[in-house]
Amino acid sequence: MKREIVIDFGGITNDNVEQLRIINSTSLPISYADGFYKDVVKAKNESLNKYAYHNGFVIGSICCRIQDESKIYIMTLGVLPSYRGRNVGTKLVQSVVDYAISEEVRSKGVQEILLHVQIDNEDAIKFYQRLGFEKGEMVENYYKRIDPPHCYILRKKL
Amino acid sequence: MSNANDNPQAGQGRPLPKKDQDLFRTVVRHYETKQYKKGIKVADTILKRFPNHGETLCMKGLILNCTGKRDEAIAMVKTGLMKDMRSHVCWHVYGLIYRSERNYNEAIKAYKQALRIDKENIQILRDLSLLQIQMRDLTGFVKTRHTMLELKSNQKTNWLTFALSKHLIEDVKGAISIIDVYLETLDKDSPDVKKNYESSELALYRNMLIAEIPNNYQDALEDLEKCKHLVLDMHLWLTTKALYQLQLQKYHDAKETFELLLERGSTEDYSVHSGYMCAILQLSPPTCTRALKIKGARTIANTLPLTDDQKDILLKEYQNTLLDKYPKSAAVKRIPLTLFKCNSQEWKTSIESYMEKHLIRGVPSLGKDLASLILVEKEGEYVIATEPCDIVINPVYQNITSLVDGFVDSLETNGSFPNKEGKQPPSTLLWTWYLRSILHELAAHYSDAIKYIDKCLDQTPTAVDMYEVKGRLIKAAGDINSAAECLDKGRELDKQDRYINNQTVKYMLQAGKEDVALERMALFTRHESNPEQNIFDMQCYWYEMELAACHARKKNMGKSLKKYMAIEKHFEDFNDDQFDFHSYCIRKVTLRAYIDVLRWEDNLWGHDVYAQAAEGIIRNYLDLYINPPKDTTEDAEPDYSKMTAIERKKAKAQARKRKKKAEKKAEEEAAEEKDSKKKSNDKSNPPKIKDTDPDGKELLAKDPLEEAKKYVATLVKNAPNRISTWLCQYDVAILRGKYFMALQALKKADKLESCSANHEVFSRLIEFSKLEIKVHKHAAVQKVFESERLALLDSKTLNDFVKDVVDKVK
Repeated sequence: MKREIVIDFGGITNDNVEQLRIINSTSLPISYADGFYKDVVKAKNESLNKYAYHNGFVIGSICCRIQDESKIYIMTLGVLPSYRGRNVGTKLVQSVVDYAISEEVRSKGVQEILLHVQIDNEDAIKFYQRLGFEKGEMVENYYKRIDPPHCYILRKKL
Repeated sequence: MSNANDNPQAGQGRPLPKKDQDLFRTVVRHYETKQYKKGIKVADTILKRFPNHGETLCMKGLILNCTGKRDEAIAMVKTGLMKDMRSHVCWHVYGLIYRSERNYNEAIKAYKQALRIDKENIQILRDLSLLQIQMRDLTGFVKTRHTMLELKSNQKTNWLTFALSKHLIEDVKGAISIIDVYLETLDKDSPDVKKNYESSELALYRNMLIAEIPNNYQDALEDLEKCKHLVLDMHLWLTTKALYQLQLQKYHDAKETFELLLERGSTEDYSVHSGYMCAILQLSPPTCTRALKIKGARTIANTLPLTDDQKDILLKEYQNTLLDKYPKSAAVKRIPLTLFKCNSQEWKTSIESYMEKHLIRGVPSLGKDLASLILVEKEGEYVIATEPCDIVINPVYQNITSLVDGFVDSLETNGSFPNKEGKQPPSTLLWTWYLRSILHELAAHYSDAIKYIDKCLDQTPTAVDMYEVKGRLIKAAGDINSAAECLDKGRELDKQDRYINNQTVKYMLQAGKEDVALERMALFTRHESNPEQNIFDMQCYWYEMELAACHARKKNMGKSLKKYMAIEKHFEDFNDDQFDFHSYCIRKVTLRAYIDVLRWEDNLWGHDVYAQAAEGIIRNYLDLYINPPKDTTEDAEPDYSKMTAIERKKAKAQARKRKKKAEKKAEEEAAEEKDSKKKSNDKSNPPKIKDTDPDGKELLAKDPLEEAKKYVATLVKNAPNRISTWLCQYDVAILRGKYFMALQALKKADKLESCSANHEVFSRLIEFSKLEIKVHKHAAVQKVFESERLALLDSKTLNDFVKDVVDKVK
């Protein structure tokens, strides 16, 4: 892709977790509690929680956790507005998919990746579908403070 | 320590029995091998039978001093000395005790006394010589080292130190001849005639001496060739050779030598480039000396005035020969920017591609780099412009700015540089905005600058560098509080970045938030001790300086003075630290570096940092003198006579309560200290130095004008090139009523920076001229005074003078 930019990955630590707040606040409609950020830092797992760096600055991030011992759940994915449309989000998700299908994770019994998307977020739904995710069932009133409050579950079987 | 054959009881005329003589010798041995407990034990055995043996008492005291029991030690040594005044051992120990207390003058006296009893004791002579060089008693030093050399002429260090001592009293030829005599004593197989580090350093030192003889460069050059086979530091050898060649005007040879230096890899060394330019242009020797002293990334091209022809010659050299040979050298690519004619097309193309490359790479220092190209003339040379009014009218600045504006437009509209192919990633635009912001900052266009930096922060809010610049801009625009907050936000993003943490601390201190500042600072200090102590131990003077200024602004003069005194203590430590090097450097034969250290220490009290601290102290004391603190402390007894009976009862009850509270606090603190002392005894921690006077009350109690006078005297003696020295001298002199001193201060200040350049000088000059001063009862003296005062005003009337200055400034 012509407009693609080169990125590096890096871990999320207590010393740089504020940057995650900034990514989330510029990308996502809901704000996350302090507990969320504490847990991400505590997990210390760069394969599931990472930054995307471009020329030395953090421009995107993805945070996942293992759910029910068989699923990887994407909690947040964000890229700074000026850096969108350059394959950064794709690379972030792809890196988690690659991790999920690796030997060590497969052997633990992880079978799918999933996430929630607000029903009117067409761009996000199309984005994940391009990456091989399928639109699943709708969950009503998932969100407390935004409108519409409903969302879809998107899944990718590994 | 003392000769084995020495009679330990020489003074009392009664020698110790053999067994105890041996025991005494073991005491000395234990002291020298630092086995202190054993030493004390053996000393006690001797003292059981001979409790009045002065020398044993002294040795025991010496050992006690090494284990930290200072007061006991001093008392014991004094007793020992009293019992045996004619023993050189006692006097020697007495001197050692003084030395450990850093009372060097007394120590020298003690040693001299010891020497009177035992004239040829090498140990005492050595200790004396160390103190003499420490105190810069150079004539004494030469004498002592001469004696030592005569006593032990087979020791290399004695020869070298004697030569060095001659050098220090400026007898360079004497020093050289001593080294020569020493070299003659060596035979062919000695390691000192083979090529190794020590002989290399000695040869280079000797050559340095030869060059210090005035107009002796030919001999120095020949000597340099002769010792080439010994020298390991080829870079220095070549640099020195080139220097000599330039002084002898052997320009062709010098050019070759500089080319050798470049080939060895010194392409980024700007002083080599300066020298190379001097050789090509065949500049006069004094100009060459000046050229090689230019600091930083500047050469003669942007320091000295060169003609267009000269610049063309250099340009050809750089663009044709050097660029081909060293295509990757940053310096070779940058120097032509200083050689092109400013508005020429070549310059524009060159600087355009230079900037593009750096913007794509994302070099944060590009702004500063380009700023060094904006020059202004000062006293026949060029300096980097710092005043916005100079920068805005400068054609270099204007050209650069218009080029960058072109970049911004082009990148914003179609994502590429003007007239260039290739789409740029968003980071290029980010750094271009950043550069534009910094260019605005140089011209003091703060709102425009903030506009651009906000664009940066919008695009990439995770970029810590941007917060730093925004904070700086907000501070320059006048709002230090918001600036500190902005910087703190940036700091939160990367808590491992110590630089941004320090910047935040600095701004917090300037915003008067010293508690927050200490919190931030503590994030990076060692976790065992209290952060303030750690900052002091690390001699972190920038923090102490800012904190002192912060306290002074808040009128906490005592605390402010304490911090400035801490900086003074650091400098005292710098002075004391050189002590160990006197013996170490000679042993390692690092003579040139040692001479540099000595010369640096000689100028220690004129160092800018010390001068700044001293000025802070002076200003604080002057403030205290003019506005003495009122006694409105809480502990002071209120004025009972002015109250009614009921008020009096209330006030007394309150005072009683306060007293009780203070007593309770003191009790708690004492209990805490006992606890911590217990803990520290268990863990054998170093004793915590408790600050008994955190608010600086002792300093406040001193006579402010006396203290100010002391510090000004130091500054006048050591930092006469600083204009603030003379401004302080003036202020103190006026308050003391010493009008001649004030006059002299103004004259010196005026010479350094005229009134039209410095408003501080100007305002004092005006104030001084208006004073009605009766300075001396003698009419003649008064007349001289008045005429000198008039001369300050260029013999004009006050109004005319002011008008002239205003015109000049316009």
